[in-house]
Amino acid sequence: MIKTAAIILFSTLSIYAQTEWVKWGKADYSYEIKQSNSHRQYSISGNTAGETALKTLAVGYWFFISDVDGDNCPFSPTCSSFFLQSVKETNIVQGTLMFADRFTRDMDFIDRFSHYPIAKNRHFYDPPSLYTLNNLKIKYIPAGEYVDK
Amino acid sequence: MKNILYLIFILLLFQNYSYTQETDLYSLGNRRLFADFLYCQKDYLRAADEYKEILRLSDSDTLHLKIGLSYLKSGSLDSASVYFGHVKINSLLYDYSRQAYYKCQFLLNHFDIVELGPYYYNPVDKLYKFSSLLGYKELPVNKEKFLRPFEADERRAAFDFYDRKLNPPYKNELTAAVLAALIPGAGKIYTQNYTDGIFAFLATGLMSYISYTDFNAHHQFRGWLFAGLASFFYGGNIYGSIASVQIYNAGINFKLNSDMKFYLEDKNYFVPDYEFCK
Amino acid sequence: MNSANKIFVLVVLTLIPVFAQDYLENQMVKGNGLYSRGEYFDAITEMKRLLYFDKEKEYTYEANKLIGECYKAGAKFTEAINYFSKAEQSAGSPEEIYNCRISIIRINILRRTNLRASVLLDAIEKDSRYSDKKEDINYWRGWNYIFSDEWDNASLQFAKITPDHLLKKLCDSIDDCQYSVTKAKLLSYFIPGAGQFYTGNYVSGLLSLGWNILWGYTTITAFSANRIFDGIMVGDLLWFRFYNGNNQNAEKFTEEKNTAISNGALNYLQNEYNGEKP
Repeated sequence: MIKTAAIILFSTLSIYAQTEWVKWGKADYSYEIKQSNSHRQYSISGNTAGETALKTLAVGYWFFISDVDGDNCPFSPTCSSFFLQSVKETNIVQGTLMFADRFTRDMDFIDRFSHYPIAKNRHFYDPPSLYTLNNLKIKYIPAGEYVDK
Repeated sequence: MKNILYLIFILLLFQNYSYTQETDLYSLGNRRLFADFLYCQKDYLRAADEYKEILRLSDSDTLHLKIGLSYLKSGSLDSASVYFGHVKINSLLYDYSRQAYYKCQFLLNHFDIVELGPYYYNPVDKLYKFSSLLGYKELPVNKEKFLRPFEADERRAAFDFYDRKLNPPYKNELTAAVLAALIPGAGKIYTQNYTDGIFAFLATGLMSYISYTDFNAHHQFRGWLFAGLASFFYGGNIYGSIASVQIYNAGINFKLNSDMKFYLEDKNYFVPDYEFCK
Repeated sequence: MNSANKIFVLVVLTLIPVFAQDYLENQMVKGNGLYSRGEYFDAITEMKRLLYFDKEKEYTYEANKLIGECYKAGAKFTEAINYFSKAEQSAGSPEEIYNCRISIIRINILRRTNLRASVLLDAIEKDSRYSDKKEDINYWRGWNYIFSDEWDNASLQFAKITPDHLLKKLCDSIDDCQYSVTKAKLLSYFIPGAGQFYTGNYVSGLLSLGWNILWGYTTITAFSANRIFDGIMVGDLLWFRFYNGNNQNAEKFTEEKNTAISNGALNYLQNEYNGEKP
């Protein structure tokens, strides 16, 4: 009788069932100061001879002129990068026309905040994909909105 | 004596049991209280986890609904719709959970599932109408058919969206191109890029003028150089005008979609919140 | 009553305190255990459970503090500060208040809201209850300066603790290694390219110098030959552009080099320094 009672007594002890889910854990944050890495791609390799030639000219321009005359382009990507990307996405003629339009818009210094979203490096975000005359490629971002690019 | 001892023993056992229940933070009752508290504090992920733990020991439709609501509030729409689907048909919460389920499907852009939803649930019918506004299917030409499920205070907004979708104030690419060809910069002004248009006009005009004066002064090389630049800017102006029409029209679509999104969020997607917080 | 029965009664009576254990204390122990094992999300859940059932508010300070530590470990700094503030409000002694305030300061240092950290350090320094904590306050002031990249000021703070403090020596060495932005800019103002030479960017310096000489010469000869328009065009669009670029690059390269040096020191402090860190 005593043994039975003892067993019943001890069996009333609550047993806590623990179930654990890991939603977030220790974060690996660094003390280091973040540097804005907007470094150019200086590689001159291309898929075609034309692309290689164009890239060589662009790298030459960047090295001798653009990297020395300061940060003058208000847009991201810069005009030279815009030209390269435009030609890559379309062709040399259409790419040149896109660049001509971009050059004109570059000259317009009035109220850019009302026309363009803002990229991470505080330049105005203006990718070539908006100007290829292909509606499907247009990802509209309202003016003044900050973009993580 | 033995009987007295056994009585004392049983009383002590009972007292211990009831004390344990009261101090057991993990008892079903206490877990429910804590889970509801977490939900009302908007700690939805923890609330969901807590409700799921209760569910392991005690199944109920209310729990399934609350887990669904917790996942819905924390943005896990797939999980939310699964739990809404678990509420049984004979439950008082069944109607609400079905509407919540279709709300999740709408938010997931599963418009094909919303289309198959029961239209006797007014919110589901309204969401289906909005799915056609968002481009799922062609808008019904019959305006009254479209507006039928909406209440009086909703009809005006619904009609506004319907009208903007059916007759968007798009600009025309050919018009922009012709205007730009006739007067450099006019195409950009047509799409409300006024300063771009002025600069396009000035750039083309200036280069043309310099080319003209150079040719007059018999400076052939300079003349052709600036003529080339004038063509460069002129061609860019026409091309840019066409592109700006496409961007303008994309902006019209974007504004309509974001206005609809704000309206739907304001209306809680026509499915009211299930309030149980005190 | 025979001896066996007596023993049994005694056993039962002595077990009552076992069942009457402080369940809230157990919960606190559980939370600490989860924290020490790195299960921060679950530790927070258990502490919230403790706070909910702690009607006497006995554990408010400890629980809120532990939640703050968990959020800090997960780099959720805003939530961490929120809970340390709650812990401060329910602190029972000046020492506990101090610990909470210092925790908040350390989080502000980590997330680089250095101005805020500075304001809080000033406030705690002015508090007469903590006149014996000056060394500790100076220590965290030093760290605050380190994180705002002011190594010279950081060195001064550590020097107030001991003149040969390890961190003072480190800050001094970093300050000595770093380049002066003012010096680089001044050099470039007077001699284009000199600022880049100062930071070791010789190619960029030579190119800057070359372009400035070329366009400067062209501008001057244009003005000398009374070609005013040509002079203005070349001077403004080319010479001024490259001169400006030269100044920008001098500043940019100096800052890049200084950031690299700072990051080396910060890396050492985070991974190898054994003292107290934010």
